[in-house]
Amino acid sequence: MQRDEKHMEMFIENSLIKLKDLKVAIGQMCHKIEFEYETINWPTFLDNFALISSHLAGLSKLLALEYTPPIRNLAVLPLHLSPDPDEHLIQITEGRLPTFAAEVVPDYLRTKPDPAAENRMNLHEAKANAITNDAASKQEAQFKKIVTHIGELITKMKEEWEMESLHRNLRTETCNQNDTQILMKAVGMGIGLSLKTNTPAMLMQQPGGMARVPNPVQMAASSPGMQMNKMPSSIKTNIKAANLHPYR
Amino acid sequence: MSSENQPTAAMDSLLQALQVNIIPNQEYLLQGSILDTQVQRLLHRLKGLCDNVETAPEQFFDYEVCFSLRAPMNEQTLQMQQAPPPLLLRVRRSNDPADSHMPFQLRYIGNPELGDAKRPTLVRASFDISCSPSIIDFLTEMGCRMEFEYTVKGYLFRKGRMKITVSKIFKAMNMNQEPLSQSYLVELSVLAPSGSDAVAEDMRVFAEKLKPLVILEKIDYKRLATVPYD
Amino acid sequence: MGVTILVPYPLEKKTGPEVIEDLAKRLLAMQATPAGQFLVDGDIFDNPTMNKTKIHVMHNSEYPASVFSILDNGQKQIPLITDLIFDLLMLKVSPTYQSKKSLKIESKGPRYELGDFLIKLGSVTMSQNQNFKGILIEVDYRPCLVPALCWDLMREFMQGFLGQHAPTTVPAYFTTNIPMNPVQHFQRYNDTYQPIDTVQQYLEHFNNFRKQTQAPMMMTPRN
Repeated sequence: MQRDEKHMEMFIENSLIKLKDLKVAIGQMCHKIEFEYETINWPTFLDNFALISSHLAGLSKLLALEYTPPIRNLAVLPLHLSPDPDEHLIQITEGRLPTFAAEVVPDYLRTKPDPAAENRMNLHEAKANAITNDAASKQEAQFKKIVTHIGELITKMKEEWEMESLHRNLRTETCNQNDTQILMKAVGMGIGLSLKTNTPAMLMQQPGGMARVPNPVQMAASSPGMQMNKMPSSIKTNIKAANLHPYR
Repeated sequence: MSSENQPTAAMDSLLQALQVNIIPNQEYLLQGSILDTQVQRLLHRLKGLCDNVETAPEQFFDYEVCFSLRAPMNEQTLQMQQAPPPLLLRVRRSNDPADSHMPFQLRYIGNPELGDAKRPTLVRASFDISCSPSIIDFLTEMGCRMEFEYTVKGYLFRKGRMKITVSKIFKAMNMNQEPLSQSYLVELSVLAPSGSDAVAEDMRVFAEKLKPLVILEKIDYKRLATVPYD
Repeated sequence: MGVTILVPYPLEKKTGPEVIEDLAKRLLAMQATPAGQFLVDGDIFDNPTMNKTKIHVMHNSEYPASVFSILDNGQKQIPLITDLIFDLLMLKVSPTYQSKKSLKIESKGPRYELGDFLIKLGSVTMSQNQNFKGILIEVDYRPCLVPALCWDLMREFMQGFLGQHAPTTVPAYFTTNIPMNPVQHFQRYNDTYQPIDTVQQYLEHFNNFRKQTQAPMMMTPRN
């Protein structure tokens, strides 16, 4: 407990130093804008701005650090409220804040919920009071049922997924070394591809049945810079077919 | 030919092109296989990884025949009591009637170099030559002997310069026949001019993405030849 | 593309460059426009153990992305069209097939355009020494693809341009039956003309030049 308090104190001290730096930077900026607005140029202005933003970044970094105690959990309690000007406050705020009152810091001194939230709460409360005890317990049972059902579904799904991934890991066999070797030997060396005839007759039966050479136009004419008459090959085959006819 | 310059002899310009490394004559290759039952998963993954997402995988159905050309026995080879290894030439054509206008492909594949462990892929010399269908007659008359033939059916993917094929190998032409194995052959290859070793690294990275579905590796043909076939 | 007729042109006691110059002048007088240069070359690969089988590997600058190969086993010719990398493959088969450097032959020279015609004036040289062997004139009629349909027109054009040296009958290449393909009983005369036909005509003439042991009357080494 003591250690936590110490920790907190240290953190607050650090934050204060950083805040002071930020304050000074902002003060300098205000000073510049107020008194040097005629001579100030953009680069200087931006430099100052960068200084402020770097202080802000440093501060937020400090807040984001892991070992920073969660300050949002701390409550700020007003110990003394007074409408009269407070000398001490005036001093530490350099004359900017004469009193600590609801007009200046409404959020810190709020004692009631936000009006919108309050309205909604009232509405819900009215609704809750309107129904009978029986109906309420019925609704409760129904709600419970749905929730348990969804819970069951989720656990079931989870089990299934786990099973599947377990199964997949077990079934790693996707390739077979022996098969690889058989295929390699066949394609590379012809082992296992026994030969019956020595004439690759199938190769001769070229689909489409070409008579002499396959459209040499396509192969020969593929080079740029040629001055050939670009006759489409389809025309060529047509002429050929027409010629072939009387000889058949 | 609009230029007034003398056309250079084709052979000269080709050798010049070879010298400045613009002729793709090296194949970088990784191979593996995947079981038939798992191939859909692989295709799905490749579809996501590769360039031709919109058009889905390109399908192919080819017939390939391998010829060998043995050097004549001369005194030197007779002394060695051993013939030099034959030159292997492969001819491939599409079985798809829609491709009947496409040229046949003649392919020379050199001896694979595995290199050391640092080299990510196998490298072999490779010439891919488009040619007319008379190539079969031509090679036969040249004195080439037909060694083996097979039919290959599968899918083609592209990723930049890389080519990925997932294919089923069948004996010869008979499609009713049992395929050669219960797996698809998976090949990742790039045909590039010599000295494009950087591409091998890209291939290694790509192969890594297909693990553990397919293990693509440098397959040592020499070691494979000694493993008994079962 | 179109139909091409290749004719040898006699020197008649002139040098090669002189004949080319004469023909070029004649073409320009006919309002032809120069259209660059062309080159057709032919290499022979043979196999010491298979004496009769020869592979002719040829290039035509008109089709710069293709290699035209013709395998001749003494009985039949098998034409093959490939892309340029085939040349590299032919280096790989060197233990079996070797290039005969001394029989490497080429025809090169200026190209001219005249309406639908394309005329190439080729000086034929052989081996690395570039021995001058003669002159080959190529006439292309570009709008047509079947020799039978344009032969008369081409003959007329060649007569106007080559005079008495123009061929009067259809070149034998088009009228002999094609032995290699049993399906085709007809002649090339009625068939669709293809780039390989040009190369095969060149091959015929190149082989004639190769056989001719003596240099033509006026020998002029070209560089």
